[in-house]
Amino acid sequence: MEHSSSLPRDGRTIVVIGSSTGGARTLEIVFSQFPLVDAAVILVQHMPHSMNSALCRHIEEISFMEAGIAEDGEEIEHGRIYVAPSDLHLKLIKNRTISLFDDAKVQYVRPSIDVAMTSLERRESDRFAGVILSGMGSDGAEGIRHIKSIGGTTYAQALRTCAIHYMPRAAFATGRVDEMLPPEGIRENLIRFAGIL
Amino acid sequence: MTEESFGRIMVVDDDVFILAVMEELLEPEGIEVVAAESGDECIAELASGFRGVILMDIMMPRKDGWETIQEMIDRDLMEGNVVAMLTAKDVPDAELEHLKEHVIDYITKPFEADEIVALVKGYLNYLP
Repeated sequence: MEHSSSLPRDGRTIVVIGSSTGGARTLEIVFSQFPLVDAAVILVQHMPHSMNSALCRHIEEISFMEAGIAEDGEEIEHGRIYVAPSDLHLKLIKNRTISLFDDAKVQYVRPSIDVAMTSLERRESDRFAGVILSGMGSDGAEGIRHIKSIGGTTYAQALRTCAIHYMPRAAFATGRVDEMLPPEGIRENLIRFAGIL
Repeated sequence: MTEESFGRIMVVDDDVFILAVMEELLEPEGIEVVAAESGDECIAELASGFRGVILMDIMMPRKDGWETIQEMIDRDLMEGNVVAMLTAKDVPDAELEHLKEHVIDYITKPFEADEIVALVKGYLNYLP
């Protein structure tokens, strides 16, 4: 439970959450009264551009985390949620710096969950968790496979709790999901994984 | 623009029973309900300036929900709205995946009264 306190000071704990159609109502439960945790959270939600700011504002209202639209060149910090802006892919450079770029859509979407998750690199002092919530298609499945391959922890939303179960099902089919959990379980596990800041 | 109410939604459904139920459930919560009986009525409301939460039935005669979404995108009427689909089908067709980033949720009918009120209140939080 206190993994983070024993880590070297320069270690980062990074949680990447991928969410699409139906995921917003899951986020409502995951972030409700969500404490200030010792991790940087990257949220890739497929959504119309006009929802970006409202999503950040609402997460700040219901949680104790700071939330903002990710900016190109920004260094990630623990205790913050970085929301990927619509129409741009997001990746992390050396697990530290946000890079936004305008490549082709991947599986019909930009930002792509796979692009964000597969940008993470194995580094001794860094820890990772990947989470796939409700949605159409299979975005995030490759990302989950990657996060597992670099020693991360992986969760997907329990299928019966999803508005649309395709994305968590595709993630599960990789055989690399540690636990399929309802929204409340995802919330609890993330808090336990990250630790309180 | 509608500061006196808690929010504004449009329900697009050719089933007038659904429209009436939505009004009955949501208006006591201070949510103004605009009823549209077809995709064309929805487009007309948007062209006249409606912006808010839209609950869109998929199966409608002439122009279905997905075609209406496509027209909203083509005519630049999507920005500023939060759209959720209403459907009796439990999963959408894979070929509609390209529209997924425009749709926040997918509500399967029949729905519980409490559930729909909670969901709509949640979507109102995501308006610009």
